[in-house]
Amino acid sequence: MSPRRRVVVTGIGVVCALGVGREDVWRNTIAGTPCGAPIDGIEIGDAPVRMACQAHGFVVEDFVDRRLARRADRTTHFALAAGRLALADARLAISEDGRGTGCILGTGTGGNHVRDENHTIMLERGVDRISPFAIPYSMCNHPPAEVAMQLGLRGPTMAMVTACAAGADAVGTSAAVIRRGDAQAMLAGGTDAMITPLWIAGFDAMRVLSRREDDPAGAVRPFDLARDGFLIGEGAAILVLEELGHATARGATIICEIAGYGASADAHHITDPDPTGQSQARAMRAAIAEAGVDPGDIGYINAHGGASRPGDPSEVAAMRLVLGDVHAARTAVSATKAMHGHCMGATGALEAALTVLAVADGRIPPTINLRDLDPECAGVDHVVGVAREARLSAALSTNNGLGGHNAALVFVPWQGR
Amino acid sequence: MTPRELRERVVITGIGLVSPLGIGRTDAWAAALAGRSGAGPVTHFDASGHGAQIAFEVKGFDPLTYIDRRAARRMDRSSHLAVAAAALAIEDAGLVIPPDAERYGAVISTGNGGNATYEDAHRTLLERGPDRISPVALPMIICNMAAGHVSIAYGLKGPLACVLTACASSLHALGEAADIIRRGAADVMLAGGSEAAITPYAMAALDASRAMSHRNDDPVGASRPFDAERDGFVLGEAGAILVLERMDLALERDATIVAEIAGYGATSDAHHITEPHPEGCEQAQAIRRALASGGIDPASVDHVNAHATSTLAGDASEVQGIITALGARDAERIAVSATKSMHGHCLGATGALEAALTALAVADQAVPPTINLDCLDPACFGVDHVRTARNQVIRTALCSGFGFGGHNAVLAICRVGA
Repeated sequence: MSPRRRVVVTGIGVVCALGVGREDVWRNTIAGTPCGAPIDGIEIGDAPVRMACQAHGFVVEDFVDRRLARRADRTTHFALAAGRLALADARLAISEDGRGTGCILGTGTGGNHVRDENHTIMLERGVDRISPFAIPYSMCNHPPAEVAMQLGLRGPTMAMVTACAAGADAVGTSAAVIRRGDAQAMLAGGTDAMITPLWIAGFDAMRVLSRREDDPAGAVRPFDLARDGFLIGEGAAILVLEELGHATARGATIICEIAGYGASADAHHITDPDPTGQSQARAMRAAIAEAGVDPGDIGYINAHGGASRPGDPSEVAAMRLVLGDVHAARTAVSATKAMHGHCMGATGALEAALTVLAVADGRIPPTINLRDLDPECAGVDHVVGVAREARLSAALSTNNGLGGHNAALVFVPWQGR
Repeated sequence: MTPRELRERVVITGIGLVSPLGIGRTDAWAAALAGRSGAGPVTHFDASGHGAQIAFEVKGFDPLTYIDRRAARRMDRSSHLAVAAAALAIEDAGLVIPPDAERYGAVISTGNGGNATYEDAHRTLLERGPDRISPVALPMIICNMAAGHVSIAYGLKGPLACVLTACASSLHALGEAADIIRRGAADVMLAGGSEAAITPYAMAALDASRAMSHRNDDPVGASRPFDAERDGFVLGEAGAILVLERMDLALERDATIVAEIAGYGATSDAHHITEPHPEGCEQAQAIRRALASGGIDPASVDHVNAHATSTLAGDASEVQGIITALGARDAERIAVSATKSMHGHCLGATGALEAALTALAVADQAVPPTINLDCLDPACFGVDHVRTARNQVIRTALCSGFGFGGHNAVLAICRVGA
């Protein structure tokens, strides 16, 4: 077998409640800015939970032409914005034929707004009043397809739908596409806009949303004894991944290297995580093995940390299994969902982007709202409340999705070779 | 390119079909060779107010044959079809899944996920309020749940994904699953797709995109790829799952190998949201990539199972793509069939269903027909259209899938010598 192709991160585009663009988002992440707030500007009817982490700084017209701004779903709008920001950040020019570059984006459910709107129209006014764009603009694959169309990408293009692990699976699979030689560069990430009446009701029926209505900013509290669920976030994050030779040949600024990806299934239960942590541990181990690093090299883990009662302890259990109790106790762990909320199919990509920035910038973002550590979540070095400096030799980003999907990514700093 | 080692080669060892052509590999393949159509008026709901009132439904399917009653109640029909197809595939492969199946995974795709559940839940929300939504609604709707159920039902603990590219979804699923094996992340993958979109809203919304046949008075004749009188696709539903294995391990356990997935090409048109590129340039590129990725001689392509949905623009551009990729001279002798004429357009499941039929064609050295091809559209000239099943040498066969959004996927499926 020929030596494995190496894949590096050369650009980051992000839009979420923390801000628009890499600098804005990273500054607010390091500052520990909470984004939970009462829902504003989205029609949610008599939804039982009335707070979320909205991307208020996002102005669709800044990134999307008027026609698409009107017709396409917010999920696609976010993707187009993140895609353009990522390309600009990477200073990557797409070739005329576009065949060397593809796009894989995670999403939880695709264009919810378009689907719900058209379904309502059908119920109220009849089948012949549905828009011709009802299907194309609500498909889960519309965001990557539209990004490919707008930016001229003709390489492998698809959506990855593994619930809350989708963004991470999209990034990992994109790296695999480059490693096997099917593309030289990939726009890899995730997008979602699930702050809708149906999903609020659907999640609330599952009892996974926080009901801390009197304290929206403090509602998402991963690993905290008083956690009671997450808030829905929204946005998109896209990384530009490139084959190392391609990046160096064009003189790109390399942010870090994506060294490993692992995926596994719980095969346990549709909604509850594997309480032993064994399943998540398999994904982490696979990612670490592919990266060719030792578990002891992992200095930071950006946890999934969905602030669910069973989820957070099982995740810490997995970390302890993989790292061993001694190293786990000195490994920095934070759950940035405390700030940006649960961005569903985008969340794995957003958290991967924040992990990349932690590696490149030497600063670890905090878990905010962590006042009273749940003893069941003890055993790792929680980065409580404030960011800290650290020179990392490897970092891990992990995610789990409804249905039993686990994904883990390993990033290592770029040291010039 | 050096020949791949056995552990980098991926073979199909089992096929599970729950389809309009029949349930189980044997029945479905016999129906395909016989040129039987599974079309009829929609019976899943009252479609009398719809523009398109015909479909290819799966008949005689009882989920409880495969799934216990309590679990079945918490699954959308799209998951029923997937779990059943997986059971049939595992049985067909003679696969015994060990208790700690860390090297066994799944990539199961779909176009839309749990349509019926979505429509019920959203209607409930609108008519009765948010507190009447069932806690299992959301998990039943999301597109990855068929994959989740398959992994839970059969204890698959390796990589688990759902890639989604509209009508090309399950071809990408097979291609990506093969790559997961090739890169060493798993030894066995269940891969394919399921779709159950014969529901009031999904059908009406698909029809609104103006791609469906309205030949309601002639269901069997409505899906007519390459025919001059074609007027759009006819919706189908299916679960289609294949067992993919690392070749050396399949040989080691004496598995019966159906065929090899020797190449996979994925490209994007970057052209239009619903229309294919008229010259099929990037479809051609996907064919080239599929052949190149497996080091396959283009001259060895003897059969193409076309995507051909029976739309005016799509069928013609696809033939152009084949000619562009393989050359006009070679294209003329390539046996092309569009099995959607018999099983309809099963959206996210269609690619895997067609890949299964392609693998069976390779294994049996027999090509299924395109039925209803009475008057060939001159825009589709240039390949050898197969109107009745026939036996012939097939060294390499291609299976193509193209999705709304401009996603193209092509698998190269080869005969594995004795």
